[in-house]
Amino acid sequence: MSEISQYGYHGKILEVDLTRGRIEEKPLDPSLVAGYLGGRGLATRIFCDLVDPACDPLGPENVLVIATSPLIGTNAPTSCRAHMVFKSPLTGVLGTSNSGGTWGHAFKATGYDVLVVRGRAAEPVFLDIKPGCPAIVPAGRVWGKDAHETTEILTADAEPGRPFKVLCIGPAGENLVRIAAVVNDRNRVFGRSGPGAVFGSKNLKAVRVSGKEKTEIGDRDLYRSGLDQALYLMKQAPVTKRLLRELGTAGLVEMINLIGMLPHRNFQDSLHRDEDVSAVSGETLSRTLLTKAGSCYLCPIGCQRHTAIPGAGGISEEGEGPEYETIALMGPSCAIYDLEAVTRANYRANELGLDTISFGGTVACAMELVEKGLIRPEETDGLDVSFGGAGVLEELVRRTAYRRGFGDRLAEGSYRLAASCGHSEYSMSVKKLEIPGYDPRASYTQALGYMTSPSGACHLRGGYAVSLAFFGGTKEIPRYSLLQSPIAIRNMQNLGIIHDSLGVCRFTGYAFGADPWARMASGATGRDFSVTRLDEIANRIAALERLFNLEAGAGSEDDDLPLRFSETPIVVEGREHRVSGEDKDRMRRDYYRVRNWDAEGRPTRALCDALNLRRSGL
Amino acid sequence: MTIKVRFFAYFREIFGAAEECRVLPEGTTVGRLLEALCDTPRRRAEIFAGGSLQPAVVVMKNKISIHSLQGLDTPIADGDTVAVFPFLGGG
Repeated sequence: MSEISQYGYHGKILEVDLTRGRIEEKPLDPSLVAGYLGGRGLATRIFCDLVDPACDPLGPENVLVIATSPLIGTNAPTSCRAHMVFKSPLTGVLGTSNSGGTWGHAFKATGYDVLVVRGRAAEPVFLDIKPGCPAIVPAGRVWGKDAHETTEILTADAEPGRPFKVLCIGPAGENLVRIAAVVNDRNRVFGRSGPGAVFGSKNLKAVRVSGKEKTEIGDRDLYRSGLDQALYLMKQAPVTKRLLRELGTAGLVEMINLIGMLPHRNFQDSLHRDEDVSAVSGETLSRTLLTKAGSCYLCPIGCQRHTAIPGAGGISEEGEGPEYETIALMGPSCAIYDLEAVTRANYRANELGLDTISFGGTVACAMELVEKGLIRPEETDGLDVSFGGAGVLEELVRRTAYRRGFGDRLAEGSYRLAASCGHSEYSMSVKKLEIPGYDPRASYTQALGYMTSPSGACHLRGGYAVSLAFFGGTKEIPRYSLLQSPIAIRNMQNLGIIHDSLGVCRFTGYAFGADPWARMASGATGRDFSVTRLDEIANRIAALERLFNLEAGAGSEDDDLPLRFSETPIVVEGREHRVSGEDKDRMRRDYYRVRNWDAEGRPTRALCDALNLRRSGL
Repeated sequence: MTIKVRFFAYFREIFGAAEECRVLPEGTTVGRLLEALCDTPRRRAEIFAGGSLQPAVVVMKNKISIHSLQGLDTPIADGDTVAVFPFLGGG
């Protein structure tokens, strides 16, 4: 057993070549973990070493890398999240996506740290991974099935005490829908940037895992000191102690409306009637549709919403969600305030494997194009795709997943949809990734996060700035501070990189910062992952992601926002706000400076040397 | 003067209502309003840390954070709406 495999890691990469039908076990280079930690960092490094940034995202040259972290397999709170890296078929830049549930933990228990999938199978297959005997298996019996059916079929023949966990695509991924997601544990999702289409392009239907390999801890005292502090702080902070369990992320709906950030009519404004917002709030969800809260593996927070809605013949339909983002983008942004309709559409999206943020953003875009006469009624299959049309949501999910009729256009995402009408400016997206449920005119910091996220407009990879202006009870980072926003969002992004590379949940950030994680990571691995080292690693990963995107053709001109946010103000706290060109220029320039990137947004030579990165050619 | 107070999340359970109307003397500040609302030790512990607001409590007057106004000294006028909620983060 090598040094690396003793503590935190197994020291093994499983590499699958679907073209040749071969599986190979490779050692995990210890220098990689020292520099990139695990999860997002490790996956990004391995991905960049294998992929030509100019490759076709739906071609066999694209590579999928799924990585776990050294904390997965310990009892660190929320340590279950796997991270997936690929070239995105939606954006053409880095796809970097994360999911909770139990699959990440189960994959680590197979004895591998990382899964690499290359090439394309001649016929649909799934990967069956058990310790020491991974296999490529024909998937004819599940190809065409939705994610729930696939999971049920592939978990049916598990031995007692050795359950299978399944990661799979639904019809959306099979049909190469650019906003297709990958679904694990039935309703957890690697949502953003279209990973489902990458799976589909490889004829890869699912990854089934089962194992009992243990993760060993190096320095138990050090690990324990971090763990004890983390658990204590999570019990003190209202968000992690009770708020998310009581209301889920849906509890954000009322609050985000109050602070002027809830999108309306494809971000035309953020004006809603309070009674409409109340109808789709977390409080209403709890009172009407919630059956119970739930958790990912090892998570004490409990934000999952198990829900039920009235179905045909008096039999209710059960599922999970909706989350805040789903409500915001499929609800108020479409001027829809029907919680049952949004929930039903969310159930279909989970089954068929669609990203609800990008789907909602694309539908809202379609509604605006219809409103402006740029899409004619005869183009929408007889469906009334107007703002407020709750009745079409579920059917649009189906048509998008199956690329049927108008759904074939929605399947391309909002940017290509709007561009096909000659008006790409109506796509509310950055780098073609649809903007989540927070209007950037209500926070310069959030605006900068969208502009500089490596994957396009993302509140997770780009930094969640909503809390910065309110958490702490003071104007800690004022919403419109041009001066503080670059440093604030850089720090938020770095903490997010650490979370993603340790396989833990963002929500722990409402209870504590990096210090407990540093002690847990150092203790689990026996390596130096101090706070200083973690920040260095985060800067390295951010720079590497940036270098990939530059090689893929995305430059500083793409670190921008749709024109609407510069031209059309919204009223927040009694005053008009927009993100002017001058403000964007200043924040972008200052962000590059705090990142130690040059004026064009390329990591400087000095930074690359310090971080042991190649400045060009990756 | 008559104002509306709105509560969100578990503050609805603690304060016993999603919203209520309050009749207040002219010149009442947000701080005085909160003192009046916190008429039990439990309510007081949720809202105040000493003489200041608890870090995770957000108070807005007419959708403007009181920290953009005069804080707890923010004056209230007839017809105003004051929202009180525990800060909820998410994604």
